[in-house]
Amino acid sequence: MADDDRPEDPGVGRRGLVSWLACGGAAALGVALGAPAVVFVTSPLRDAKTGGARWIKTIPESALAANAARKVTIVGEERDAWTVRKDVELGSVWLVRRQGAVVAFSAVCPHLGCAVAHEAGPSPGSLDGARFACPCHTSAFDMDGKRREGPAPRGLDELATKIEGGFVWVDFRRFRIGVTEKAELG
Amino acid sequence: MSLRARIDALADFVETRTGAKRLLSHALDEPIAGGARWAYVFGSMLTAVFGLQAVTGLLLMSAYSPSTQTAWASVHHVTYVTQGGWLVRGLHHFGAQAMIVLLGMHLFQVALFGAYKRPREVNWWFGLLLLGATLAFSLTGYLLPWDQKGYWATRVATNIAGTIPVVGASQQALIQGGSDYSSLTLTRFYALHVGVLPAALIGALVAHIALFRKHGVTPPHGADLTRKDLFFPRQLWKDVQAAIVVFGVIVYFAFRHHGAPLDAPADPASDYPARPEWYFLSLFELLKYFHGPLELLGTVVLPGLAGAYLFLLPLLDRKESLRARDRVLPLLPLFGLGVAVVVLTVMALRHDARDEKFQAARRRADLSAAKALALAAKGIPPEGPLAMMKADPEVLGEALFTKHCQGCHVLGDLGSREEASAPVLDGWGSEAWVLSMLDDPDHDARFGRTPYKGMMPSMTRCKPDDASCKPMKPEDARSVAAFLAAGADDGAPPPTDAVRRDAARVRSGEAIVKTRCTTCHLYKGEGDDGGEGTAPELSGWGSRAWIRAQVMNPASKATYREKALAPGMKKYMPAFEGELKPAEADVLAAWVHQRARR
Repeated sequence: MADDDRPEDPGVGRRGLVSWLACGGAAALGVALGAPAVVFVTSPLRDAKTGGARWIKTIPESALAANAARKVTIVGEERDAWTVRKDVELGSVWLVRRQGAVVAFSAVCPHLGCAVAHEAGPSPGSLDGARFACPCHTSAFDMDGKRREGPAPRGLDELATKIEGGFVWVDFRRFRIGVTEKAELG
Repeated sequence: MSLRARIDALADFVETRTGAKRLLSHALDEPIAGGARWAYVFGSMLTAVFGLQAVTGLLLMSAYSPSTQTAWASVHHVTYVTQGGWLVRGLHHFGAQAMIVLLGMHLFQVALFGAYKRPREVNWWFGLLLLGATLAFSLTGYLLPWDQKGYWATRVATNIAGTIPVVGASQQALIQGGSDYSSLTLTRFYALHVGVLPAALIGALVAHIALFRKHGVTPPHGADLTRKDLFFPRQLWKDVQAAIVVFGVIVYFAFRHHGAPLDAPADPASDYPARPEWYFLSLFELLKYFHGPLELLGTVVLPGLAGAYLFLLPLLDRKESLRARDRVLPLLPLFGLGVAVVVLTVMALRHDARDEKFQAARRRADLSAAKALALAAKGIPPEGPLAMMKADPEVLGEALFTKHCQGCHVLGDLGSREEASAPVLDGWGSEAWVLSMLDDPDHDARFGRTPYKGMMPSMTRCKPDDASCKPMKPEDARSVAAFLAAGADDGAPPPTDAVRRDAARVRSGEAIVKTRCTTCHLYKGEGDDGGEGTAPELSGWGSRAWIRAQVMNPASKATYREKALAPGMKKYMPAFEGELKPAEADVLAAWVHQRARR
């Protein structure tokens, strides 16, 4: 406190230096607080992708008629922020059986995320004329998931399937909405 | 137009429309009579740390969820999952403590310099209001993580509010949102902490600073008043340096604690060694000296008198002089108060440091906290962190043992050796336990305090008058121990120095058990030629299944027999079939099995 006892007579240089130090110090403090704040707020941008296969058991293979589509619910473990719930309905997928093979499509319309519906064709037991249609913005897809009409930027997202123990298993994933490429969400 | 001219034009544009430059000049060109001083940094520090609290508090609000199921879980998520979350929470936690320290310093500086005197009395009162608001912030914020520490400390505070005559019960119900703690307590405390108190504090702070600007600083007695500084840059530079130090200290503590401590989830059924945060320890200590009807003296009257004194100080000290020497009398209580706070705080810390029971309880609480963090890392169920803890076999096992078994048995630090009326279970199922049983079954730690005392003779020593007695050879005793302990292992690998690692010894132990021990004991249902019906079954002895059978019904013949529950067997072990659910019995048996051989 020695300098407090002297009357102040700072030269222009000293006053300038002290001004710079005061402003610089205050700015440094702002950055020191701002940096962790920015890291904290933007942490969702750096969340680790879940990645890896996520096989979920659905219906018995025998419950799926030939040349037909069926919507099945995906039940699994959900991580909601800090909570982990078991046996929660995570979403649904369309299963299509064609010539013996089972194909799965995400029921989420790649346009803006509405749930797509199935419209059967004129003749029962045949996929001819059948299609998937979005109830929101008139996007429609054929039974291979290819886009037929409407504003959707890509076809329906196909999911991997396998048959094990007589049941259909689906590798359930979510994808970015509204873009041309099929990009998985974390 | 040159760049400089363009900048000037832009500055003029902004200035004529907003007056920002004039406002900034008004803020920075505050005249400081007597010059800039280190003594003036505390007020600025407090404003700066409040800014830190506001920023980190807003960030925490974006990630916190006030309910009994989610509060702890969301704070855990912030501290251990969200990037940078630990640091943000640490800055907020230790920033709050820095505010308390700085408030004390600011108050003493202002009092010492006589800055509360005419015409600054009202500003002193605004300062006291800010002090109260800050303490209310601390109290409400402490509860929000809903961990053991915050829960129990805050319960004590709200219960004190409930002891106040006439208004106590309604006051407590208003604070808590009901007659007991619940999610409504959290939402109310949260609303106070992030809405009401910030509004109150900012309002009082604006008035405080406005009045400070109106009257200016109070230079100490004898200061050279011819000297004049402006706030910028000399005082600001001092303030910034002090802020860097304070911020450094806060960051240091935040790094040291990986943010801030998080105790186990609040558990109303637990016995927790509750202590308030360190700055309330003096009040806590004070409560120990006022009993019964005098309690109000410690909880309300003395703190109230201290508050009243601080409020009246500007009216008590009305002399013109700023010299501390001339104001000894009015300032004496303030220093007395300071000394009392320090002394009581040190006493509280010393009592706890020397209190072994408290230290043991604190260690148990720390173990519980570590357990909670480990479990939460795997995800918290929708029922909340407490349900997560209670369902954990280790926690549940200990809770069941505490509830049903420790009244008679001793295991680890559970139960009392002085009051035990059943065997000490430490090491139960081990070779050493069997050996000690063969040698002295009536030892106090074995069956000496039970109705079975005197029923089993020592196998290795003979009574002097017993001519027919043939003591068991030490080698044979070790073989028996090896065989029985092998059965008790229940699949767990035996310790490296165990005799039972030698299969031949186990077989020879089995042969001895089948011939010699079955004169009283059962082995696979066979034995007990004497028909006494008291010695237990030895096959599977010490295994989880054996423990479970014994706990559910000690007279089922799977362990002990009908005699186990005979009226003559005073203080026998009861059957817990009716009290324990089957799943609980599984957990308890597994816990005892594992804990006994720890």
